[in-house]
This record gives sequence, structure tokens and C-alpha cells, in this order.
Amino acid sequence: MTIALPLISRRRLDRQRLQDAAFRGATRLFAVGVLVLLGGIVVTLAFSAAPAFERFGWGFLTSAAWNPVKDDFGALPAIYGTLVTSAIAMLIGIPVALGIAVFLTELCPPPLRRPIGTLVELLAAIPSIIYGIWGLFVLAPFLQLTVEPLLIDTFGQLPIFGPLFDGPPLGLGMLTGGIILGVMVLPFISAVARDVFLTVPPMLRESAYGVGATTSEVVNNIVLPYTRTGVIGGVMLGLGRALGETMAVTFVIGNAHHIRLSLLAPGTTISATLANEFTEALSKLYVSSLFALGFILFVITFIVLAAAKLMLLRLEQQAAK
Amino acid sequence: MNADITVTAEAPRPATLGRPVVRPQEPAVVAQTAPKVVIKDVRFYYKKYEALKGINLTLHDKRVTAFIGPSGCGKSTLLRVLNRIYELYPGQRATGEVLVDGRNILDAGQDLNLLRAKIGMVFQKPTPFPMSIYDNVAFGIRLYERLSPSELDERVEQALRRAALWDEVKDKLRQSGLSLSGGQQQRLCIARAIAVKPEILLLDEPASALDPISTQRVEELIAELKSDYCIAIVTHNMQQAARSSDFTAFMYLGELVEYDETETIFTHPREKRTEDYITGRFG
Amino acid sequence: MRAAGLYARRRAGDHVYLALSMAATVAGLLVLFLILWTLVANGLAALSTGFFTEMTPAPGSTGGLANAIYGSVVMTVVATLVGTPVGVLTGTYLAEFGAGSRIAPVVRFVNDILLSAPSIIIGLFVYELMVVPMGNFSAWAGAAALAIIVVPVVVRTTEDMLRLVPGGLREAAIALGTPQWKVIVSVIYRAAIQGMLTGVMLAVARIAGETAPLLFTALNNQFWSANMNAPMANLPVVIFQFALSPYADWQKLAWGGALLITVTILLLNILARFLVSWSNRSP
Repeated sequence: MTIALPLISRRRLDRQRLQDAAFRGATRLFAVGVLVLLGGIVVTLAFSAAPAFERFGWGFLTSAAWNPVKDDFGALPAIYGTLVTSAIAMLIGIPVALGIAVFLTELCPPPLRRPIGTLVELLAAIPSIIYGIWGLFVLAPFLQLTVEPLLIDTFGQLPIFGPLFDGPPLGLGMLTGGIILGVMVLPFISAVARDVFLTVPPMLRESAYGVGATTSEVVNNIVLPYTRTGVIGGVMLGLGRALGETMAVTFVIGNAHHIRLSLLAPGTTISATLANEFTEALSKLYVSSLFALGFILFVITFIVLAAAKLMLLRLEQQAAK
Repeated sequence: MNADITVTAEAPRPATLGRPVVRPQEPAVVAQTAPKVVIKDVRFYYKKYEALKGINLTLHDKRVTAFIGPSGCGKSTLLRVLNRIYELYPGQRATGEVLVDGRNILDAGQDLNLLRAKIGMVFQKPTPFPMSIYDNVAFGIRLYERLSPSELDERVEQALRRAALWDEVKDKLRQSGLSLSGGQQQRLCIARAIAVKPEILLLDEPASALDPISTQRVEELIAELKSDYCIAIVTHNMQQAARSSDFTAFMYLGELVEYDETETIFTHPREKRTEDYITGRFG
Repeated sequence: MRAAGLYARRRAGDHVYLALSMAATVAGLLVLFLILWTLVANGLAALSTGFFTEMTPAPGSTGGLANAIYGSVVMTVVATLVGTPVGVLTGTYLAEFGAGSRIAPVVRFVNDILLSAPSIIIGLFVYELMVVPMGNFSAWAGAAALAIIVVPVVVRTTEDMLRLVPGGLREAAIALGTPQWKVIVSVIYRAAIQGMLTGVMLAVARIAGETAPLLFTALNNQFWSANMNAPMANLPVVIFQFALSPYADWQKLAWGGALLITVTILLLNILARFLVSWSNRSP
């Protein structure tokens, strides 16, 4: 009358149920743990940053002061440097990364696609400290001796651009940091761009070629508009990386807490300030101010990364339809 | 091993209750064997879409029942209801009753692992597990029985012999199941399914991915296994249904159009749609 | 005539466009080779037996990176051992139990954020969480920071790889009456093992070169120390310190360390890729 295998005992069945529940529970526990981790990071940073925010208020965001002796701190120079270096990184990284993605999807002979794609992705595997040491010993002298004098002599003389390329060629500064970051974000943006380019339905591409469009016209008029959200998502992902990148920038930024219009001048970023000063910070307020910088960095990158993720999700859903 | 099958109180009844449409009847000449699975007004939903629209039929023990019909008619879906494998996917649900030996397996209290151990299933594509040939067959046995190594060896050999695979693999039992050819893999899956001594075998287009020779072996195997099991097979191959089944159910758009002895279906179908389908006029 | 001219212009534009895209690729590859060349040119000279056997020296004397290499290996291993199970179980939840769950999409979202979150923030977090309560910098804290970086990488690849396992395999195991945990551990993990290993290797490659999170946790140690409760030397931080120093000996060791780290990481990456393409090839 009931389904029963002769050889199975009630106990065994119960044990199976228990094991199932335990396994499921364990995976769920750790999944929730990931949420707790993020929450823990936010709370910890906020808690440790609280004294600085209490002391300086909103003024912390707009003050350019950074005086450990007088215990007076402001985040503006670090925020400014972070944004400027990331902007330079994007200016360099986006066109080159899209160029690579176009090359890999439209131009590259198929047998070479994988090897070249892999090599570009290896750029992402190189640790940031290696970029730093390379930037300090190779890129910075090169920029100092050749590129920067050229920029000063040409753009530096122009009326509007002039102030951006003012001052002596030091080799170390926001421009160098931005260039290094540009190289570092390349593989992230190009990998996403290549992947989303491949989501364009072949029919669409073929119909465009069918009416006699050239490759560049197909890319500009069909592929890019179709994958716009995905490409922007990839760019935001790269931006998120650039904003929080630490070691490479620390080597070449020059570490100066001031705001200069000139891109050739030394500056600092939030992460470089933390790397340089955290272990040497003595006063409680100093440490708290550094935590406050970290909190600000986390908020900025969180917003950028969340936006990137949402855009890529939207493209996924669009592709699934 | 199923010698002690008892006929249950739930006798199969003609499925004439319900909606006033023409209902498929019980086969006129009811087989001498016991009814094993009684399906009553089974409806199936993929989210809102109704994929089965009230199916009523009876599967007999030690007989092969073939399900035919065009793609999307619900024949595979019906098979997937019988071991409730659809429950892996949220948004899929079945209503109605499926009585196996008189007990409704669609009941909430049914232990699914036990149910599935009793109902073997073989899929369209071979699904060898990524482990040795021996472990593939022993996998299911180890789940529900504690056997000594020699007993286990014996059971594995028995299953592989029944699946007509033993001679081909007896010297390489430790090799990966993935190293076998497609036809061998499918017979391995059949061996794996019968190794746990199920009472019902569900075959979902088991030969559709195989070459003609492998297909023939699988068909022979089905004929051979019939003496022990209640077998339901989904196929899109008309000849296969005609050759290897005792009963045939023709399904169309989620409904059971006609259900009868295979010979009757293929020679004197009552329904025009059945005739059109088996003569290849549509589908 | 005009039409021909227009076409010539379009063609020319196309050529320029494609030449630029090729130039971009060449530029990217050029930077990669330049970096590798610089590392080899400067680092090879530093590699000697003393490099692997001697301790980090005081300025002006000779020495090696033995203590730093040891520290990096120990903290990387501990971090991997801690982070991998957490990542695998979380990835399993997302891939196998996540459907229909409300927290799964949130976990996936948060995990992707953690994947790209600035690693220096992790350093701050662990500093406050472990270094402050314990009263000193320690190798445990360094390993904990690295483990936090391992988790999201492993979660991501585990989920992706489990999703690549054909649904048929899952159904076949379920259809045998296998309990779900056993389906996952004995069948699904086995089928996905190569991909999951790849994820772990990528995670190891990622943390082997991480510097920022170690600055505030493991700090550095000029001497040999196997005490996990004390500061421990490690390659990235030593490279950071030595490269920025004015001493030629130190800079030379920094280049040697940089070469060692980079070669290790690139090999791990390439190996991981081979593992993936190899596992994709076998059925």
C-alpha cells in the first residue's frame, strides 16, 4: 500500500534528510556571510571614521588642509587627485581598450584571437606593485625626459590648456599616475567590451555588411549602439578599479597634499595617502581621518561598481530576450 | 524481483469523468497484467502555461507503453511528472493524481528520493557521471543499500549484463564512464538505472542521440527488460514505437488523443489526428 | 563620379579606423612586453642561491629574500585554505539553491562589488578587526585580509563552473533518488572540478602579488619569523620598501622579487587557462 524499498531503513532516510538540510544550511550560511562581510566593512570604516567626521563635519570634504602637527585634516586634495588620475586613466584606457576589442572581434584572424586576447588579459594579472616599480624606474624617467618637455613646449603655451601643462617636468605626478592607471584598466574594459561585442546577433551584423557598410561603419552604427549599456558597464568597472588602485599610484604620484591645476605637478590619491601614512599616523584624529578617507573611497567605488553591475545586468537581460 | 506485486484496491477506471470532450478510452483488451501506474486528470503548468490538459491513462506492469506525438505535445512532460523531476525547477507544477500501486505520488508527503529510487529514468542524451564505469553503476546501489564488496561486485555485474554491456566493459570497469562510445554510455545509464532495482522505467527518447546499430541494441534491451518492469518510453520514432511497445499513447497539444494497444493504434486508429500523425501527414 | 569619391572616402576612413584599432592592440601588447623585459633585465641579476636562502639584509650589506618568500607562501596558503571552502560553499548556494531565493541575487551583487573593491579597504577593515584588538601586526591578520580577497574570486568561478555542468547530469543523479547534497558533492563537483580549481589558482595568483592589504596587517619583518602572531615579512611589502629606498642592493633585491612574483603569477594564470580549455575539450 505504501511505496517502500525493502532495504532502506527509516533511520537512513532520516539521516539523508538531515544531511541535505545541513549541507543546504551551510551553503546558505556562507552566502549570508558574504553579505555580513560587506556590512562589516561599511560599519567598521564608518565607526573608525566617526571621530574625524565629528571633528570636521562636512568641511572634511572641502578642506585642503593636511597638517598632522596641528591635527587638521581635509580630504579635498586626495579626492581631487583620485578623480583626476582616474579621469586621465579613462581618457587613455577607453579608446585603447575599445580599439583592442574591435581588433579582436572584427579584424583579428581567428587563430590569433585567443592568444592575443589572453596576452591582453595577462596585463590584468600583473600585480599592481609591479606596475608601480615599472612606472617609477622606467615610465617616469621616460616621461620626464621626453614627453613632459614636449607637452610643456606645445600644449603648455596654449591659452586654455596651458595651465594643465605648467611647471617643471618632474616625471612624478598626476599625469604619470593616470597613465599607469590607464594601462592597468585596459584589460578590464577590453575584456568586457569584447564579450559584449560578441553578443550582437550575427544577423544584425550581417545585414549591415549586406547593405555595403564598412567595418568601421558596422562597429559605429550597429555594434556600439547595440552594446552601449554593456560597454558603459565595462568602463565603470575599469573606473572602479582605477579609483581604488593603490600601489602603482603610490610609487609615481609624488605624494603631495595640495591641489594643482597642472597635471605634471605631484599630488596624492586617497589610496596612496593611506598606503604612505597609515602605519606612521600617531594621533587618534590622524588615524580616524585616514579611515574617513577610506570610507569616502569605499562609498565612491561602491556607487561606481554598483552602477557598472546594474548596467551589465540590464544588457544580460536584454540579450536573454 | 517484483514477483510480489499486489493488485491494489484502486482499480483503473475509464477516464470518462470531467469535461464533455471525447475522452481516450481504456484499451479494449486489457492486458492480463496488473495496472502499475494510474494517471488521473493530470495537468501540468510551466508558470501559467498549461502543458498537460488533464491526462488520464493507466500503465501496466511488465508492459511497454510508448508515448508518441509531435514536439511540444507534452509526452516528455508527462514522463517527468511520473518521478516528479520537474520539481527541480521553480515555476513548474502538476495537479491531479498519479497512483503508483494505489498511492498518490503527487502528495506533498511523498519522499522524493525514495520515489525516484523506485522509478528509474533514462534520458535523451547519455548522462554518465564523471567517475568510473563501476562507480557509475554502483552509485545508486550505495545510496540505499549496505552491501559487502563482493555483493556489490555481483550487483554491478548483474546490472551491466542485463544492459548488455558487460562483455564490452568487463575488462575496463575502472575506466571513466566518459571514455565509452555514445551507445555504450546510454546502455551504461540503463544499467545504472536498473541496478537500484526500480519497479518502473521511464525512457525519454533513449535512442534519439544514437546511431542505428546502438539504437537496435537499446530496443532489444527494452524488449528484454519488459519481463521485469513497467516501462514508459517517449519516442518520436514511429517504427520504434510500433516495434517495441505493447501500448501506444498519441498526444497532441497537451492532450491524450488516443490510447490503445499498439497494434490497434497503428492499424485502426479511431481518431483522424492519430491516423494523420502516424502516416506522416503532419508532425 | 561623386559616388565613387564618397566610396573612396569611406574606404579610407575605414582603413584609418582599423589601423587605429590594430595600433591599440599593438600598444597594449608592447606595454606587456616592456614590463616583462624590464623585469627580466633588472631582476635576473639578483637571482642567485643567496636570493632564496638569505634573510633580507640591512642597508649596504648583501642578503636575500628567504624570509619574505617564506612569509608570502605561508600567508598565501593559509588565506587560500580559509577562503576556498567559504567561496565554494557560497558559490554552490548561488548556483544550486539560489533559484527562487531572495537573498541569492543580493549575494551575487555584493560579491561582484567585493570582487572589484579596493584591496586597501580590506586592509583597513582587518586592521580594525584584528590588529587593534590583538595589539600588534601579525601574519594571521595578513592571511585574513588575503582570505577576504580570495572569497569573491572563488565564489564567482564556482558559480560559473557549476552552471556549466549540463542539467542532464543533475537530473540523472536526482532521478536515481540521490539526496541533493550527494548529487552536488559526488556528481556536480566532480564534473566541475577543473573549472573550480582554475578559480582557486586565479585567486592564488591574485593574492600572491597583493600589497596594499598587507601594509596594515602583516606589515614586514626584517628577520626570519614563523610566528603567525607576529609581523611577517612578505614579498610585496619588501619590494615596496626596497624599491623606494635609495640603496642599490635593496633595489636590486626588489627587482629580483618582482621578477619572481610576476613569473609565478603569470605561470599560474597560463596554467589556469590551459586547465579550463582542457576541461572544456573532454566531454
